[in-house]
Amino acid sequence: MDILGNILYDTVYHSAPIVLCVLGGIFAYKANVLNIALEGMMLIGAFTSTLCAFLTHNVALGILLSMVSALIFGLIFSLMGVTFKGNVIIVGLAINLLTSAIARFVLVTMDTSNITLSFLNVADFQIHIPVIENIPLLGRILSGHPLITYISFIGIFIMWLLMYKTRFGIYVRVVGENEDAAKSIGLKTDFYKYAAVLIGALCCGLAGANLSTERLGLFTNDMTAGRGFIAIAAIYCGQGSPTMSSLYAILFGLARALSVNLSIYAGPAAGLFDVVPYVIMVCVLTAVSIVKRKNNKIRGFKNE
Amino acid sequence: MKMINFGKRLLNSTLPVLLAFVIGGIIILLIGENPVDTYGILLGKSLFTTKGLLNTLHYASPLILTGLAIAITFKANIFNMGVEGQMLLGAFFSGVAGAYLPASLNPAAAKLICLAVGVLCGILFALVPAVLKAYFHVNEMVVTLMLNYAMIKVLEFLSTGVFRDYSSGYVCTPTIHDNAMFSRIGNSRITLFFFIAVAAFLVMYFVMNKSRLGYEVTAIGKNPEFAEAAGMKVHRKIMILMIISGALSGLAGSGYMMSEQFKYTLSFSGNPGLGWDGMLIALLGGHSPVGILIAAVFYAALKTGADHINLYSTVPKEIVSVIQGLIILFLAVKFVDEHTDIRKKLFGKKTGKAETAAAKEA
Repeated sequence: MDILGNILYDTVYHSAPIVLCVLGGIFAYKANVLNIALEGMMLIGAFTSTLCAFLTHNVALGILLSMVSALIFGLIFSLMGVTFKGNVIIVGLAINLLTSAIARFVLVTMDTSNITLSFLNVADFQIHIPVIENIPLLGRILSGHPLITYISFIGIFIMWLLMYKTRFGIYVRVVGENEDAAKSIGLKTDFYKYAAVLIGALCCGLAGANLSTERLGLFTNDMTAGRGFIAIAAIYCGQGSPTMSSLYAILFGLARALSVNLSIYAGPAAGLFDVVPYVIMVCVLTAVSIVKRKNNKIRGFKNE
Repeated sequence: MKMINFGKRLLNSTLPVLLAFVIGGIIILLIGENPVDTYGILLGKSLFTTKGLLNTLHYASPLILTGLAIAITFKANIFNMGVEGQMLLGAFFSGVAGAYLPASLNPAAAKLICLAVGVLCGILFALVPAVLKAYFHVNEMVVTLMLNYAMIKVLEFLSTGVFRDYSSGYVCTPTIHDNAMFSRIGNSRITLFFFIAVAAFLVMYFVMNKSRLGYEVTAIGKNPEFAEAAGMKVHRKIMILMIISGALSGLAGSGYMMSEQFKYTLSFSGNPGLGWDGMLIALLGGHSPVGILIAAVFYAALKTGADHINLYSTVPKEIVSVIQGLIILFLAVKFVDEHTDIRKKLFGKKTGKAETAAAKEA
């Protein structure tokens, strides 16, 4: 019973940054701007929040700045990718490399290999919900998470509203599905693409702050460890729907929680549990693709 | 006309590099150092001394191969991001083969077996995304990225558990035997592996520029539907391209293992890794083999120069990674349009300048 509670708690714990990343990525995905810079934006968010909290001892300011820094890279991304019509995949890759290089550069000039917020007790951030906390299993799962974790799960609903129930969401989807049509009715397509990328950057910055400052009080370089790419895979599997994509993100969180919790029993093979999420993702992608193509009548090969 | 096109392509490759260096220079100024001196050390020690140049060529060898591995798939619009994983797998098992083969084996045979193991592993690992892409239309970019991380974890497990050398103080596989090592030529680091890389380059030059496959790659990259309609079996071509890519990556990994590292450690390919460097090189070289050769040497010069920066100045060598990131960022944008005719050229130059100015602001 205890281990089940632990696994489920860790599922929520590990899903949160990925869910946030997914939420950030879906708008760009729907606007037909493949944002693979999620990873880099998350990293810069994590880095700035910890650095700022380290320098000023003000966590709230750190989280705010994490969003600002991610927004700056979102602006660079959309400037290069949308305004100058550069290849978005290359721009994304460049931002991933650049952010990691900047973080490494600053860490070296500061003469450390990681930033630790020693003044901080991470347990203070955990919010214990009064009544729910006492329900046996449910309380263990739902209570005791930091703020951004709750934001990320509430965010699924907000993004769903924004995407399907507002004019803005509809326009973004129109721009993605048929740019010429969107232009012909007078939509400023570049504006919607910018907006989509910037929403993504904001969420990624938050995800980064959650990952480093709020959960661990620590930043090490490359601590995002491919979560941004997992988010992209989740978006692909869920085809950009907020709920479905988030579900895949939670699936990854579950796999990760399993690998962490079961590694106590597995001994030296513990490292292999970390492979499971990636393999699951590849299998899911394949299955989704097979189902999608089952009724395909197009002759020959079609790219994408 | 051809010359003008060539000039435009050259401009498109050199402008981003210059821009990145300018911004890097500003950063160096900000931390209170002299950028000219720093760049002098960076390039002077790695390109303008004989020993430095030979060392640079040595480090360029795996980069040429990974660059070619990326280019042949990217040119066909197949985004094989898994070069890193394929290279690591090839390196790991050629290292294991080199360590577990009998030490008395004929040196030539031992080297050949190790290289073959590396190439084979690269191909096998590249086949997974290739089959998924060609027959199930799974997005190859996401799959290869995922498999990279999975492969790094698997190799971490193998090197900490099954194949660990317990006599060593840190996590690594046993050192390969002398008969599987490429010996150094002269007093520099250059080995036979460089010439193998050059041979692979010549083969790929022929394949990409002179053969039918090279033409088909370009056609598929420009328009896969047209290629299919014109009678090319696109899915079979994707398999072939991925196999070539995997083979080159595997060769890069095993060669680097046998000429430089001699055992698999967790930081085998460095940061950001040879496969990722290969991507930058392919972009810098505009996916053409000659361009890749030049870009790889330039890039290796940056890498060897980075160590000299650490030795001879107080600028941290991580500045080089920042410059690399900036180079890719600017490479994504075409500063000069390659397809405009002479009359439009003036116009093209104008917009090019405007973009440069705006990019500087960014």
